[in-house]
Amino acid sequence: MSTPGISILEGKYMVTMDLFPQQSKEFNQVTPFYEFLREGRFTTTKCKDCGAEPFPPRVMCPECYSSALEWIDWPTVGTVIDVTEESVGVPLGFGKPPLIHALVDLQGKRTFFVRIINCAAGELKSGDQVKLAVFDVDPVPQEVGREVVQIPRVFYAFEPVK
Amino acid sequence: MDRNVCVVAGGMSKWGVRDGSQRDFFQEAAKACYDDNPLMNPKDIDGLLVASAYTERTSYQTHLAPLVAEYAGIKPKNICARVELLCASGSSAVILAFGLIKSGQADVVMVAGGEKLYTPQKWEVFYSELASVDHDWDGGQGLGLPPPAFAMVAKQHMKQFGTKKEHLGVISVKNRRNAAKNPKAQFQTPVTMEEVMSGRMIVPPLTLYDCCPITDGAAALVLATEEKAREMTDKPLVYLLGTGQASVNNMSANMPDWTTWEALKIASAQAYMKSRVNVDEINVAMTHDCFTISEIIEMEDLGFCKKGEGGFFVGDGQNDFGGRIPTNTDGGLLGCGHPFGGTGIRQGIEVMKQLRGDAIQQVPNATFGLTHNLSGFIAAHTVLVYGKEVR
Ligand SMILES: [Zn+2]
Repeated sequence: MSTPGISILEGKYMVTMDLFPQQSKEFNQVTPFYEFLREGRFTTTKCKDCGAEPFPPRVMCPECYSSALEWIDWPTVGTVIDVTEESVGVPLGFGKPPLIHALVDLQGKRTFFVRIINCAAGELKSGDQVKLAVFDVDPVPQEVGREVVQIPRVFYAFEPVK
Repeated sequence: MDRNVCVVAGGMSKWGVRDGSQRDFFQEAAKACYDDNPLMNPKDIDGLLVASAYTERTSYQTHLAPLVAEYAGIKPKNICARVELLCASGSSAVILAFGLIKSGQADVVMVAGGEKLYTPQKWEVFYSELASVDHDWDGGQGLGLPPPAFAMVAKQHMKQFGTKKEHLGVISVKNRRNAAKNPKAQFQTPVTMEEVMSGRMIVPPLTLYDCCPITDGAAALVLATEEKAREMTDKPLVYLLGTGQASVNNMSANMPDWTTWEALKIASAQAYMKSRVNVDEINVAMTHDCFTISEIIEMEDLGFCKKGEGGFFVGDGQNDFGGRIPTNTDGGLLGCGHPFGGTGIRQGIEVMKQLRGDAIQQVPNATFGLTHNLSGFIAAHTVLVYGKEVR
């Protein structure tokens, strides 16, 4: 079994060594994506002018360049096209090998190449269903005035539908 | 003003798991480049472009170009800057040098690329790779080191077109055999098909010999106007004729197709059009064999064979000496290794030698050659066409 989001920082946080994105509003304008993740929702931005649904979420539409965007829900269950299991070269923080990835058809929205957790080696196969899995990752110690505040964070992978 | 551009000298340091620092390797590459053409006076170099992707992460050094100029003993007066496009940094710098010389902004430009990728603890190298993809979206999925992505490419190509593991093996055996004859290559020993087929599993179906290694080293190339080149060398002139570089997506979720690389098709069409050289006229190619499957798809999308036939094309020896398009005659990434910023320049050096007629393993009568790099999550492709004559 792989373990999501293991700390390798041992109390010495460095942004240049961080596996995961900055998620606070001071460092990211797509903060709602992570807030929705906490609710189990997988979202992106939709353009109110041309209807495009770019992923990753944006502050500007890459099709018509409008800034009028709204958050919409995308499916949280997809179908596995194929699976890879990485036994050598797994980066620190991604658990013990194998690190499993799958190419997942998210109901026609996009074909995502994503990490699969809560899954044994050899368990997942083409045609299986996987669903969004959200987990806590290392918080970021962020300066707020003269204080250092721990900013909690989440990230996502997918897991087999059992 | 629209001037012809020639390659007048090129050389590289020894590549591999090296003792030394980034700046040591840049000096070794400059020295090898100067030794390649003793008629050239390095003081005539008026521009320097330095290609390095990981200089900040693994050498903690930005503002690299003036440092390299100082160590290479040159004083650029028209351009002195760094270029970064990960695995295609070197060929990107060559494209920019080409444009600067062609347009009259510089006359003689050195393009030097390289990396010290190994850090005192090796885990840091793998870890740093999370910066190579879209960090916030693909990095968080653990997709830094590329084997999972190319394993998926290989699986899909096998499924769609019947490509076999043995076809991948042909590329390993060919490129390691070529590297064994290249003293600058990381790997100095050939491998047999039996060794390749029983290699250690990395990400199925990719085993050890399907994957290029992590490498320290540097390479340098000097480009000049045709007019200057005639004064600077007594070797046959080699022209850079046309280039293309395309990107249609960055994040993995926006890849249009995993087994047909649209950006490669666009970049090669641009390069063939601008060089006025048809793919049928290309005699030798250095393509980006970061993985064996890559070279197979590159044969298809560069136009050397039909879509889906790449595995059978290489299995038939068609991209080896005596075949349609001898490829990676110096050992490629699989044999020479891959210090990101150095690779496109190494490829340029080998094509220069093939067209001059002094390669270690010469393709007879090579007149036109190309180089190709892919970079990022198969997110950008770069193609350069060189020739012995101008169209
Ligand atoms: Zn729009």
